[in-house]
Amino acid sequence: MARSIAWLGALARFFFRTLEAARWLPRAGRRVAFRVLLKQVWFTALQALPIIIVLSSILSFLVISQAVRELGRLGATELLGRLIVVAIVRELGPLITALAVAGRSGTAIAAELATNKVMGEVNALEGMGIDPLHYHVLPRFGAVILSVLGLVIVFDVTAIFSGLVAAGANGMTGQRYFEIVLASLSFRDVWLTVAKALVFGVIVGMIPSFHGLAVRGSPTEIPIAASQAAIGSILTIFLCSGLFVLLLA
Amino acid sequence: MTAPLRFEGITLPGHQSPINLEVPEHRAVLVLGPEASGVDALPGYAMALDQPATGRALVFGEDIARLPRRSALAFRRKVGYLPAGDGLIHNLSLQDNVALPLRYGSDLSEREITGRIRIMLTLLRITDAAERRPADATEEQRRRAALARALAFDPALVILADPFDGLTDRAAAELLELARGGETGTGSRRTVFMTGQSAPQLLEPRIEVRYRLAKGELQRLS
Repeated sequence: MARSIAWLGALARFFFRTLEAARWLPRAGRRVAFRVLLKQVWFTALQALPIIIVLSSILSFLVISQAVRELGRLGATELLGRLIVVAIVRELGPLITALAVAGRSGTAIAAELATNKVMGEVNALEGMGIDPLHYHVLPRFGAVILSVLGLVIVFDVTAIFSGLVAAGANGMTGQRYFEIVLASLSFRDVWLTVAKALVFGVIVGMIPSFHGLAVRGSPTEIPIAASQAAIGSILTIFLCSGLFVLLLA
Repeated sequence: MTAPLRFEGITLPGHQSPINLEVPEHRAVLVLGPEASGVDALPGYAMALDQPATGRALVFGEDIARLPRRSALAFRRKVGYLPAGDGLIHNLSLQDNVALPLRYGSDLSEREITGRIRIMLTLLRITDAAERRPADATEEQRRRAALARALAFDPALVILADPFDGLTDRAAAELLELARGGETGTGSRRTVFMTGQSAPQLLEPRIEVRYRLAKGELQRLS
């Protein structure tokens, strides 16, 4: 318990130091940070598109196929829209996307930063007068937030279209399907989805950087940092997902 | 006149007695010491990347460790620093590594930076390897790129940690000449402070002051 509180305290300090560093990022440094951000978006969002599309398609197809059949038997196909919006778009979309990004990019960020620290790159940056938070953390933080948000949108749109295929395969027309889905979709669902994507983005952007830069200099710490980053991110994502349901659903 | 670099009462790791050292302007100063003797900690203390148990390091009369973080980072840009190894960023090419401090810490346009980098790469003779990542370059090319990066702002003071490790005598002499930045009536154009385990004999005429750490004390070599 004491260790968890200490971890949370150190993470919070790291988070606020990063926000503070963002306030005084030099004008010229923004160009450098932007380049790192673009590279990270390429790795975190664009290269992850196939896996997100596949996951979303399969998940949505399975859930909607079963739901159309079961709800049809009960004569409650109108509930299908709510199911898609609440279960897939609002809950599973952000959750599964964040887990995929944490597993794929979070571990990579932690391992990369830990390697940089061990190889002396972080020290060298400090020696050049470059804040490692500006060069390493802020761009990755921003990139992961943007990436998670973008990937959640891709996940949800793919899920809706994959649901259309599943509904069609079970005898529902496309027009009826979209009527049900659109009737169930509210502004609240949209902002809750966006809020979750942003919060999960912050988690996956921050925890791996924190663990990556926390290594002291031994190469054996690199896999430990990657593993701690994955576990920390995944647990925090589930905790926050639960909090969202408790407080806002 | 204030010495560009001064160590006052610094205690090195593993030693009890504090040491004092002054690096005079326009001179190349080398401190030698065996591996794990603590000599390799001096560049980090000078740049305030590490904290000594006692004492302080003054760069141009300023204790960087006491400056607020933002000012400390800006101050470090006045000094050329070559860390042990090379400290190059491994996912950047050698030329992007050299350009990094200029891109981050100057208001030069990309065109001006490119022109300046081209001159640096030519001077350091690594134009052919400019596009290579550090992992694909030779140790000498990496060291040359790291020195080019340290000299990017044309600093008056250069701090080099283990600069000659793994280099041929000729390459080491060439890098020292570049670090000195040419000669003036009073000595080298830049002040150079170096640490290491040994230095090639070929360099002796170009290093004005040499010390060796023995039994925790600095002994000036003739």
